[in-house]
Amino acid sequence: MQEEIINTKNQTIARIGEAKTAEELEEIRIEFFGRSGKLTLATKSLKNTDPGKRKEIGVLINETKKTLENLISDKRNSLKTNIRQWFDPTIPAKLPKIGRLHPTSIIISEMTEIFKHLGFSIMEGPEIETDHYNFELLNLPKDHPARSLQDVLYIEEPEILLRSHTSSVETKSLENLKLPYRVVVAGKCYRFENVNASNNAMFYQFQGFAVQEGLSMADLKGTLFTFVKSYFGNERKIRFRCKYYPEVEPGVGLDLDCTFCGQKGCPVCKGRGWLEMLGAGMIHPKILKNFGLDPNKVSGFAFGMGLDRIVMDRFKINDIRSLYNGDIKL
Amino acid sequence: MKIPVSWLKEYVDLPDDFIDKLTSVGHMFDKSEEIDGETVIDFELRGNRADCYSIFGIAREIAAIYGTKIKPLSVIGIKKGNITTKLSIKTPLVKRAGMVEVKNVKITESPQWLSQKLKLVGIDSINNIVDLTNYVMIETGEPTHAFDLDKIENNLEIRLAKKGEEIVTFQGVTLQLTDEDLVWAKDNQVLSIAGSIGEKYNSISDKTKNVLLEAANYERANIRRTVYRHKLFTEAGIRHEKELDPEMVKRAIERYLYFIKKHNWGKFEPIMSDYYPHPPTKRRINIDWSQIERLGGVKIDKAEIVNILKRLSFEINGTSVAVPSYRTDVSLPEDVAEEVLRIYSYDKIPAKILSLEIPKNVTPEYINQEKAIKNAATGIGFDEIISLSFVKEKYLNQNIPPSGTKVISIQNPPSPDTQHLRSTLLPNLLEQAQKVVHERGLIVQFFEIGKIYFRKKNYTEKRKIGLIYWKESGSKFTDFKSLLLGFFTKANITELVFTPEILNLELSDSYLIKIGKKEIGFGGSVNNMYYAEIDLDSILGNDKKYKISLWPKFPPQIEDITFIIPEKTYIGTVASEIKSVSRLITKVELADIYNNAYTFNIEYQHPEKTLTDREVGEIRKEILAKIKSKFGAIP
Repeated sequence: MQEEIINTKNQTIARIGEAKTAEELEEIRIEFFGRSGKLTLATKSLKNTDPGKRKEIGVLINETKKTLENLISDKRNSLKTNIRQWFDPTIPAKLPKIGRLHPTSIIISEMTEIFKHLGFSIMEGPEIETDHYNFELLNLPKDHPARSLQDVLYIEEPEILLRSHTSSVETKSLENLKLPYRVVVAGKCYRFENVNASNNAMFYQFQGFAVQEGLSMADLKGTLFTFVKSYFGNERKIRFRCKYYPEVEPGVGLDLDCTFCGQKGCPVCKGRGWLEMLGAGMIHPKILKNFGLDPNKVSGFAFGMGLDRIVMDRFKINDIRSLYNGDIKL
Repeated sequence: MKIPVSWLKEYVDLPDDFIDKLTSVGHMFDKSEEIDGETVIDFELRGNRADCYSIFGIAREIAAIYGTKIKPLSVIGIKKGNITTKLSIKTPLVKRAGMVEVKNVKITESPQWLSQKLKLVGIDSINNIVDLTNYVMIETGEPTHAFDLDKIENNLEIRLAKKGEEIVTFQGVTLQLTDEDLVWAKDNQVLSIAGSIGEKYNSISDKTKNVLLEAANYERANIRRTVYRHKLFTEAGIRHEKELDPEMVKRAIERYLYFIKKHNWGKFEPIMSDYYPHPPTKRRINIDWSQIERLGGVKIDKAEIVNILKRLSFEINGTSVAVPSYRTDVSLPEDVAEEVLRIYSYDKIPAKILSLEIPKNVTPEYINQEKAIKNAATGIGFDEIISLSFVKEKYLNQNIPPSGTKVISIQNPPSPDTQHLRSTLLPNLLEQAQKVVHERGLIVQFFEIGKIYFRKKNYTEKRKIGLIYWKESGSKFTDFKSLLLGFFTKANITELVFTPEILNLELSDSYLIKIGKKEIGFGGSVNNMYYAEIDLDSILGNDKKYKISLWPKFPPQIEDITFIIPEKTYIGTVASEIKSVSRLITKVELADIYNNAYTFNIEYQHPEKTLTDREVGEIRKEILAKIKSKFGAIP
């Protein structure tokens, strides 16, 4: 029996070598492996053989099976290459016109997505605002020293202006929304700036606020850390420090480690090793009272950041003007 | 504010990490520099902490952070009383004014310790008497001013300036004052602008024999307006625009006299004329101790809270705390909470995940719409641009507002290019498109989603999408229209009607876009570019739910029919007439144009059976008859 198997094997190897077409090869395969193929039958008859030799024969059949299977599959591939028509996938092709989003849009939608998962809604508001909503209601009365940081563009001085921050949407929300709520806002803001490589009269702000009973700085910290870590990376170092903003009390400044210099100090971080990322805090009790809320019962937090700097870092843009003047090639 | 480290060290111990700690409690380290081998650090100070615009104030913060002692300032105690110089004040804008006379002064160059200290903080040395006023200001935070007593004579007043009244500042600049500027004056002569700058002739000179030293406290808002009006961002000006503690007036004068006596620079009686009509009472704030935890989200032992407040020199009496007079920024329980939390350290506040009870989603529908519209526009291969909301001078002729409305202008534009708000998205899209053309681009497919602004009765903002199209190899309206239709289809907006219309815009071949009878936008061409602008609120809610259908089971019959159609016939109308002939016509497309011959590709289909040639033939007969009678078209 062993001899028979070895003979069949050698003959088949020769026939595989000579096969010219895939069909021919398939015939050989069926003859050998098919339901009544030689090898199939040999396996079946194994139980009738001398128990002493059974193991030896079994090993031989398996080895033969493997050898032939490999040979057939190699031969099949080589037949394919031979019969295949000439085809050139390297030929250069034209790119179809793909529509892309502006970098600022991309950043806004990425950030918004994170806050959606934290239960925030998205809101917007008018860009032409009154002094009342842009300043007064936000604890920024006229002649407040903090106003000098926000020289505004007036449409009708002193009452009608272009909003200088998205906080005007916060005042509108405090006025109109029912508690509790969590909201983020991304939008255009305007300031009196002489346009140069790092200042523009129009810029984007991203702002968020949450108002309900029992919110504390721990909630604010948790929210901001979750956002910062998921957006800028888990490995980033965060500085959470006291900072003054008239709209909040207590106030918070949040900085990120400067990755341009590994915190050694460079022109980007002005030698500080830290990049100022956002301002935040607990909504000032006067603001809550302005909208009839009792600061002893209801609390809220708010945060805001400039978006343009983040867009520029991410897309390696050096000149702020090129963001909105058509210099970007998408 | 610049702080020479060696000067700061005179009042308080400086642990290694004092810079980080100051940053953490609210005074951010900005930069440091070496001047004459000395380290000078610069902090970004908080606008509400007038007390920290001084070396001593910063030392006080450091002592509070570490719970260490601060070295008190040596002073000469003075009494209130009358001096020869009389001061008349009839305005409520002055809260306190203190004056002392120093006689037989020795005007000299400043000694090294004095001039060097001023140099480190960036102030030029003039002479000992003037330098000492600056020294006391930098040290204590209270600006003081020295007049030549013999020149100003005995009768002074603090009053509002007369409109047009002039002053030549000690720097030699002539300023024209308004009737809102507060000044020190004698008779009709202005001696200084209160809180910001002195006059030239009456200031201290080499020949000065006798000096009047004043320190005062004013209504800060008024000083602030003057400082901004005349751009007087002097060391005194940036302090007086903030809420200074009136108690500092006396202290600054006492400190000044200490040095006069120590260096024997003049003779004086320790008597200060003190105008102080309403000394503020001690501020007391009732504290609910649990509020600190409620707001801070961290539990701090009562003993620790008390300890922190004591380090900050707050006096505690049961549930009320008395605020030190120099902390003019603290008036609410929340302010006290911040004091405790910042010294306790924000780093110890835990980061808590927001409650999983998620508030109701209040996102307005139009925000979701903008996302869908952006997808539709990028879906047809258009790139998004964002432009400034202003229209450049060069493109103003394109900035035509809707009829009956006006363009909105900025009263204080930083430049002519930021003066006018856009009242259509056209000018900026056109500008950016032309940029591509100039830079040898082959194709322009841009869109912008944003607001336009105009004034009707009220100031109005409208959300729009503008799309602009151009191709180097020749732009055709039908190419643009087909992209627009793709855009609308992707946005699930159907049944659009394009009607020709002359528009009040710099566009030729203009038209309106409507859904049924409702106008939703317009289009036209300019400089071989095609433009369309659609009002997003008009199409809000007009999008149909995205529906799918199954391939019909019975094959359609398809044929081409060609008509010779007279000139100036709207071919879109012909196509819709054909379609309206029978419900069994499922599609009519313009397949070809040759001179006046228009070939339509027509599809006939019955949902439940295959149409016979006879049935199609009858519909065709109707088509031919209708198109001939309506348009005089010959098949």
